Amino acid sequence: MAIKTLSIKGTDSRDVARQAREALAEFQPKLLLFFASSTYESPEAALKEAFPGTEIIGSSSHSEYCNDGYTSGSVSIMAMDAGSVEDVCVRVVENIGAEPDLRDVLDGMHGYFGGVEEILANYERYVGVVLFESSAKAEEIFMDRLGTVTDLLFVGGSSSTADAGQSLVYANGRSYSGAAVLAILKTVNGYDVLKTQSAHIFSERKLEVTKSDLRSRILYEFDHRPCGEVYAEVLGIGQDEIQNYFVCNPLGVVAGEEIFVRTFNQIQDGGITLHCGLPEGTEINVLKIGNIVDDTKKALDEAIRTPPAGVINFNCLYRTLEILNEDQVEPYCALFGRYPSIGFSTNGEAYLGHINETSTILVIK
Amino acid sequence: MAGQIYNMIQTVITQKAKGNVVIANSIRTKMYLKGIAVDKFTAISPDDPATMQKVREIAREFGVIV
Repeated sequence: MAIKTLSIKGTDSRDVARQAREALAEFQPKLLLFFASSTYESPEAALKEAFPGTEIIGSSSHSEYCNDGYTSGSVSIMAMDAGSVEDVCVRVVENIGAEPDLRDVLDGMHGYFGGVEEILANYERYVGVVLFESSAKAEEIFMDRLGTVTDLLFVGGSSSTADAGQSLVYANGRSYSGAAVLAILKTVNGYDVLKTQSAHIFSERKLEVTKSDLRSRILYEFDHRPCGEVYAEVLGIGQDEIQNYFVCNPLGVVAGEEIFVRTFNQIQDGGITLHCGLPEGTEINVLKIGNIVDDTKKALDEAIRTPPAGVINFNCLYRTLEILNEDQVEPYCALFGRYPSIGFSTNGEAYLGHINETSTILVIK
Repeated sequence: MAGQIYNMIQTVITQKAKGNVVIANSIRTKMYLKGIAVDKFTAISPDDPATMQKVREIAREFGVIV
């Protein structure tokens, strides 16, 4: 035993939990991770009742992935037993919009496992999962602070919703708005984290963010000029057309070999809002989105050389919509069907920072 | 005196990572995301006061004195 994955459609949350309990009858999960369509009310309470001795965390979702399937209106569940996860520590940070100090929270989580020295000595076994409730729009500041108080890698994403229901994150029987759920996993055989964004550098020209409001996620100027004017100039288009290019030509912070995508949202208040704030002084490139299936296959094949216990895919909702639009659902899902896997369509992804138009993936070996 | 920013950045990475390559790479990336283009600075790069101050603040956040 190690990891089991389920995709369940139930009449309600209690029915989902009952089906999960039946499917996991011989399984003793240490941790249950779930992504539930926002159409389900209180999935966390029903699952906690069905699995009282298990740590349970989750997020609401627009749509879900499980193995080689993509669905909506369902609940994807990954159950991890002691064969894959030796121990787990879960904490919830509420009111993340107030930019809380995370030092005490992380000190406590480190302490649960015996302290920072124990974690650093066995670094290859410890990994964090973070689930953000997206309405706070505070992920980038939270991840920045998280990154200064722990050296552990945290990977995850932000909640989303279907046409009905509320954006929420869940932990151990409770639901939260404006919060982040943190979980540190002590894996048995280690892990890998990968990030794939199917975005490539469109222009080598570096643009410096010279005026922005990080907290409000508004960008005003590149190189002391209106950002829309410079963006249009790089793309070689009229300034009145730029909104048509926001998703296919996002911005990127290029850190060595890695690209961290930031997507424009809308023109507003003399600037352009983003789905992720950019601090002044940041250098960016304008990107071009490529082939999501090809790039995802390449990333998975390079990273996963032996059969993993499980794979968790935090896949940006923009990518899901693009895959649906291009009729690429089946080939995309077939890539993840090679492993026990779950995922959901996120409103932002997390790995070292807050990211857009990306898939952040946790591989549990 | 050139190269001070480069030296400060290397001090932060070295002291935080303590030889762990994964941590070293993550610190570099975190600095990029904080607005410091790490690879732009070399031992002969000119130093501007604003960037030096920013790197000092980042170092302080990481608990490193530079």
